[in-house]
Amino acid sequence: MSCTLLTFTSKAVPLSSLAVGQHGLVSSVSGAPTGRSDRLVSLGITPGAVVTMLQRFPGVVFFCDQTELAVERAVADAILVRPMEDVR
Amino acid sequence: MSCHVVREHAGAGPAVLTLRSRPLRVALVGQPNVGKSVVFGRLTGRYVTVSNYPGTTVAITRGRALVGAQVCDIIDTPGVNALEGDVSEDERITRDVLTSDGADLIVQVADARNLRRALMLTAQIAAFGKPMVLALNMVDEAWARGISIDAADLSAVLGIPVVETVAIDGQGFSDLREALARAAVAGAPVGRTSIDRAAWANDLTGRVRRQSTLSLSRIPDLIARATRQPLTGLPILAVVLYALYLFVGVFGAQTLVRLLEDGVFGRGINPASIWLVDRFMPVPFVHDFLVGQYGLITMGLTYAIAIVLPVVTTFFLMFGFLEDSGYIPRLAIFCDRIFRVMGLNGKAVLPMVLGLGCDTMATMTTRILGTPKERLIAILLLALGIPCSAQLATILGILGGVSLAALMTLFVVVLGQMFLVGWLAARVLKGDRSEFIMELPPIRWPRLGNLLTKTRLRVWWYLGEAVPLFLAGTVLLFVLDRLGALIWISRVAEPVVTGLLGLPAATAQILVMGFLRRDYGAAGLFQLAHSGQLTGVQAVVALTVMTLFVPCVANFLIMVRERGLRVGLAIVGVITPVALLTGAGLNYVLHALDVHF
Ligand SMILES: Nc1nc2c(ncn2[C@@H]2O[C@H](COP(=O)(O)OP(=O)(O)O)[C@@H](O)[C@H]2O)c(=O)[nH]1
Repeated sequence: MSCTLLTFTSKAVPLSSLAVGQHGLVSSVSGAPTGRSDRLVSLGITPGAVVTMLQRFPGVVFFCDQTELAVERAVADAILVRPMEDVR
Repeated sequence: MSCHVVREHAGAGPAVLTLRSRPLRVALVGQPNVGKSVVFGRLTGRYVTVSNYPGTTVAITRGRALVGAQVCDIIDTPGVNALEGDVSEDERITRDVLTSDGADLIVQVADARNLRRALMLTAQIAAFGKPMVLALNMVDEAWARGISIDAADLSAVLGIPVVETVAIDGQGFSDLREALARAAVAGAPVGRTSIDRAAWANDLTGRVRRQSTLSLSRIPDLIARATRQPLTGLPILAVVLYALYLFVGVFGAQTLVRLLEDGVFGRGINPASIWLVDRFMPVPFVHDFLVGQYGLITMGLTYAIAIVLPVVTTFFLMFGFLEDSGYIPRLAIFCDRIFRVMGLNGKAVLPMVLGLGCDTMATMTTRILGTPKERLIAILLLALGIPCSAQLATILGILGGVSLAALMTLFVVVLGQMFLVGWLAARVLKGDRSEFIMELPPIRWPRLGNLLTKTRLRVWWYLGEAVPLFLAGTVLLFVLDRLGALIWISRVAEPVVTGLLGLPAATAQILVMGFLRRDYGAAGLFQLAHSGQLTGVQAVVALTVMTLFVPCVANFLIMVRERGLRVGLAIVGVITPVALLTGAGLNYVLHALDVHF
């Protein structure tokens, strides 16, 4: 049985542009200075991961797999996600 | 997308637990902080120290365990996030254990809350082709969050035993021991890219994991949200700071200090030692050395134990509480932007807050920062502007009795200097700042035992480091006094101290003591103020200079150990003029504006 009831639009946008409470499907991590993508991957931010925006100010905080991650704006700009509409 | 996975059923595989001549080597592998050390302790009955500081667990721990009739060697490996590609020092050690035929069987310990990340590691472990068992640890926390995992289904897909455990109370451990006999090579996509592994882990997680929505209303989650959002977070920060002030500044620095200084030392130890000395060694020199004005007992020990110890202990208790509750990383979100101007990122909040307890200890924890430039700036700012707990107690004790405006003046000037020096350092120094990426641990109620152990170790460390220096400083002062050098130093420094800073000449001597031990000098200032020798403006100027001034000898030595003698001297060379010029400027401005606090 599948419990995925989410659909997503296909255009990838920066994580930082998600609204609070909105979900996104990670598609890639771009413009990475060395080490950035390695650090993010090891924290579970890989293509296909589902993230949820929790807070945009003063720092970006998002949720991924029961883990809250806080990042600065530049990092949130570099994570590309496809926004998902929750149709439940 | 579907995955075609070759399954090897455990029943068909070779029995791993046959009697053999040497012990079966079982390696525990898992991501950091999944509870591996606790699992190790449960299996072997041995306790390994649980350390929170990174870079401290490089060695591998081994222990014996009897599983059925089979003797096993359990190997605890450093936590790993990846085993392929560019790996860290810790990860290389773990990989070596798995490749060099150091282990016959692998137990992957996973955090049940985070199955997807665990499965990405499972796929990498499977590549070593060794029989394995998956232990889903922390299922208690997962259940509390409304997460459940179909372990039977997961086991069927992977073709390995999957056991749910709660390491801290031993749940699931008989299942885990029994499962070792059924260990098998996992059927996971081997040898593909990390993207493929991630997709596979995603699909499988979606299949076996159920999440109910009830989880969001848990109280700790509500607190977690409140602490990181500005609207609620800033008032909470204010409350935390006020609680810190009440517990450390009032209860520690006033109530306990009075109890120890006036009671235990003033009425007990000091009169008793004076009596003992005069009775058994009635030599003036011995009297002065042990129990005189700069006496080893009456000054050194009294300051170390009666004035500083209560402040340090209450501070470390409070700090440990904030650390274990998961609050401090959330504070980093608020500090990130401000710290970035000074070439740091939000992570630096940990050493900065710890510096309010002891700058020397905080200087050592700057190792958690990402780049050499960040470490250097943090060390500089700790030495320059962060008052340690004894200084803070002095500041609050003296200026609290003057006025709030006096207190605010000092904090604004000190913070302004830190900001300015940090801003300049960020521009002048070569190197990079690292990006702010921080995992926020769940908010939880700290466990009392852990908190007490931590505080005890820190206070112990402090005593071992501080008391000998206090005593050495006291001896030095005694010698200088005997040689008449104190008067000479005061005379040399007098033009600066009285002219430039507008302070009484006696302050010169206190500044010298301040270098031997920063908090020690602070305590000396305390006495001066209490005997009514300082005006309000003088108190503000003296305390500002003291806060900004050259760190204590211990801090200097640690700076040299961490960054080398050249850097240590350079930091002192920057701080000394900054402190004196700021004090002179402040003195000038306050007089020009005719301010009286
Ligand atoms: N609630 C809960 N906490 C656990 C469990 N196992 C370990 N812990 C806690 O998780 C923290 C990390 O454990 P540790 O063994 O140091 O992790 P390691 O880094 O993997 O060795 C410790 O505070 C443990 O007390 C568990 O099954 N349930």
